[in-house]
Amino acid sequence: MTRNQIHGILLGTFAFVVALIATRPAAAQNAKEPYPTMAPVEQYLMDRDAEIALARSAAPDAVSHDASVIVLTRHGYETAVQGKNGWVCWVGRGWMAMFDHPEFWNPKVRAADCLNPPAARSVLPYAFKRTELVLAGHSKAEVIAAIKAAIDKKELPALEPGTVSYMMSKGSYLTDYGGHNGPHLMFFQSNEDGAAWGANLANSPVLAVNYWYLSAEAYPQLKSFPPLSVFLVGVASWSDGTPAPSM
Amino acid sequence: MLKKKVSAVAIKSFALLVVLGMASQVMAQEAKAPYPKMAPIEQYLMADQGAEIALARSATPESISRDAEVLVLGRHGFETAVKGKNGFVCIVERSWTSAADADFWNPKVRTPICYNAAGARSVLVRNIKRTDLILAGRTQAQVDEAIVAAVDKEELPAMEPGAMCYMMSKQGYGGDTVKHWPSHLMFYFPQTDIATWGAGLPGSPVIGMSDAQEHVTTFVIAVQRWSDGTEAR
Repeated sequence: MTRNQIHGILLGTFAFVVALIATRPAAAQNAKEPYPTMAPVEQYLMDRDAEIALARSAAPDAVSHDASVIVLTRHGYETAVQGKNGWVCWVGRGWMAMFDHPEFWNPKVRAADCLNPPAARSVLPYAFKRTELVLAGHSKAEVIAAIKAAIDKKELPALEPGTVSYMMSKGSYLTDYGGHNGPHLMFFQSNEDGAAWGANLANSPVLAVNYWYLSAEAYPQLKSFPPLSVFLVGVASWSDGTPAPSM
Repeated sequence: MLKKKVSAVAIKSFALLVVLGMASQVMAQEAKAPYPKMAPIEQYLMADQGAEIALARSATPESISRDAEVLVLGRHGFETAVKGKNGFVCIVERSWTSAADADFWNPKVRTPICYNAAGARSVLVRNIKRTDLILAGRTQAQVDEAIVAAVDKEELPAMEPGAMCYMMSKQGYGGDTVKHWPSHLMFYFPQTDIATWGAGLPGSPVIGMSDAQEHVTTFVIAVQRWSDGTEAR
């Protein structure tokens, strides 16, 4: 679940495009951290019904109306609506971005996302784990260590094939940059980078980022994590069918 | 036949082409087939190899295709014209692998496609074999039967994880049924339920097609620009 990896990606995807992709690592290292620490937890929470509606808006109604919906509480995500098609819709927060992403603690981030069944089974558990650790007050280094331990003990699943997520909500706030949002699909692959899909090259409609980091220098232990890339393809319409700005 | 059925489904699936797709089905059923048999081989070949290479490469942005392998059609099948170094393979497919049933033997069809490495190993090999059989004089039914048998016997590989292709060329000719495909990407999987990707549901940007006999599910996503960066919508 990418939610916010998308940030970085979206920086590149919309408007300002590719140049930002190229500059992301430098930006992460050089820019003054706009959100150096976690904000009070209240700033990350939202009205439950509004959160359910926002989560569902990530996908066309035909997909999301039978999906499960999870919402954020003070201690983690919990199921608000039990679905029946295997999809799970939720609203990601800033900490689902790469660990060294400058908006990791941005309390404004609301990344509506609907995951297909393989993604719900094999990607969402990582989001749950990360969120629980973050809300329990652990530092990034502690979160990383705990996730690595869980991976090593096989408490977290391996990535399944065929993962896809819809992020087509008009109501999302993905980043402080640009238009803050844009409809797209995401795919998770066990790749080191985006080369296998021709991502991030000039005029390619495919963007890719590492799931874990912008640059592994900040948290070298992430280098030992299983390779996981997130691929993103922009689409022409929002989930309600209205046309989106051209990307 | 199966391949063509899949193509027909794809045609119908593109929003812009729904009407055309439906019309093509009717045409296929009611009209006399405009291309009832294979034309002389010369009509399928491109005399200018440079033009065929350029057309093949136009399936993806130049940033990808410049380092791709390029295949061109010869009298006995596809052959390598340009060696690549990034794993992508670009090709101009002909009617028997990438047009609707009514256009199966249409010699004017030229469909540029660039497969990534996984796609080349698992999808392109099937189309190359199909082409070899066609050029050896087999009928459509014989070719379908041979491909299905080869898949069943694992002489042709299953879809690899991450197999995909680009079809973003502004050029080419899809056939009399659908003259030009929208700019799009295709993703291939071993046969799976298309609902897994939400394909075909109202408002979904994903189109799905499954071929039970070849054990392939294909998802199609339209993109907003042609390979040259110009807007496609």
